[in-house]
Amino acid sequence: MATTEQPKAAAEDAKIDLFEDDDEFEEFEIDQDWEDKEEAKEVTQQWEDDWDDDDVNDDFSLQLRRELENNNEKS
Amino acid sequence: MSGGYMSMGEAHRRILEYLNRFSDAVSSQDGKSLSRLLSISSDSHHLLSLADALNTFQDANRLIRQSDEYSQYADILLPVFRAFQSYRLRNLVESYQAFEKAANAFIQEFRNWESAWALEALYVLTFEIRILAERADRELASNGKTPEKLKGAGSLLMKVFSTLAGKGPKRVGALHVTCQLFKIYFKLGTVHLCRSVIRSIETARIFDFEEFPVRDKVTYMYYTGRLEVYNENFPAADQKLSYALTHCDLRKEANLRMILKYLIPVKLSIGILPKALLLENYNLNEYSNIVLALKRGDLRLLRHALLEHEDRFLRSGVYLVLEKLELQVYQRLLKKIHIIQKQKDPSKAHQIKLEIIVKAMKWLEIDMDVDEVECIMSILIYKNLVKGYFAHKSKVVVLSKQDPFPKLNGKPISS
Repeated sequence: MATTEQPKAAAEDAKIDLFEDDDEFEEFEIDQDWEDKEEAKEVTQQWEDDWDDDDVNDDFSLQLRRELENNNEKS
Repeated sequence: MSGGYMSMGEAHRRILEYLNRFSDAVSSQDGKSLSRLLSISSDSHHLLSLADALNTFQDANRLIRQSDEYSQYADILLPVFRAFQSYRLRNLVESYQAFEKAANAFIQEFRNWESAWALEALYVLTFEIRILAERADRELASNGKTPEKLKGAGSLLMKVFSTLAGKGPKRVGALHVTCQLFKIYFKLGTVHLCRSVIRSIETARIFDFEEFPVRDKVTYMYYTGRLEVYNENFPAADQKLSYALTHCDLRKEANLRMILKYLIPVKLSIGILPKALLLENYNLNEYSNIVLALKRGDLRLLRHALLEHEDRFLRSGVYLVLEKLELQVYQRLLKKIHIIQKQKDPSKAHQIKLEIIVKAMKWLEIDMDVDEVECIMSILIYKNLVKGYFAHKSKVVVLSKQDPFPKLNGKPISS
């Protein structure tokens, strides 16, 4: 059987590609319930909203400054 | 094949054992035991050897019909047996068709049972219908036929949904079936069909969302959150996906990762960045350079990062969301130019020559002339990412002295 299945596989892939969701959610166990844990918040709540600071001492900004100053001298 | 030789007597015994268990589970209203008897794709030892027994014995129908105890469930049992037999012989289309018949008969019985004792068995049934349909479709496709069983499974589950979505104790199962339906619709690419189910859940007074089991709430919020991403309704997407994230079982890392895969672009679009650790822990490094580009104001890096992972972002449908981050990156770049100017000469800092921006762009290897930059600046002003006005004649952006670069603060860019 294995030998006859091989050529089919390629055709199969092409067709089945139409029906895909890469991000199908895994099933939770039916009888498994869990409680919200504080831990969950720590693990997943890793966000920053105050990143838009006035710091211009990073490499990118330093290079930008050099570039702008060069240009100013030319003009 | 595996299974090997089984005597007729042994086969007979195994079939009767299954029938006994089935009727015991129903008469004692034991949903868990019943669900085990239906979980065809679990490949449990019991069910596989039952299938072998059925294929050896060949006349199980007689055993069902000869006893009232079994024959009252003949409409379920006869097709279930056929489904097991075909499944064992790897004939998945036939197995699905038989299992669908059994499921219809089961739903009929389920309606008559007043309490919700059989919900767990119904859950297993809806799951099995979906999985069998997917496998049957794969078989159809590989034989050059049109895959259509998953679509059929969708119709069947809609029927299950309407059985549950009334008043009474069974309604608590409606969300579980909804989630199975979502999985089918997302796979088939017919997500618009989710809408009517969502409407029933969200507008019907009979449902109090918080009453549903947490696993179903998390799954529901994940899928509806993804729908909101596609609709570019970012505040709603944020709320739903964040709910899924904070309530998801921490042991389900794959699910956490999937939630984040959609939540991160949503958060980015409202000006909130994931910390590096989050990207690392959940192996979402495709977002690292995008985050860095936002922090720097590095347009070139943003474009590179989008290009590098284009396939992935297009497949998950977040590409357009990420592409729109350009405006925030422009804002950040302009802000940096402003700060650098201010450090050099505070008196003129609020005037930025377009020429300067063109030069910064050139440094970033982005070829743009003054007119194009002017166009971008007017979009930034229009979208309230920059406060100021535009001196057309002198080709200068004049920044407001108060809060020239308003933060998004968790709100989407105005359209």
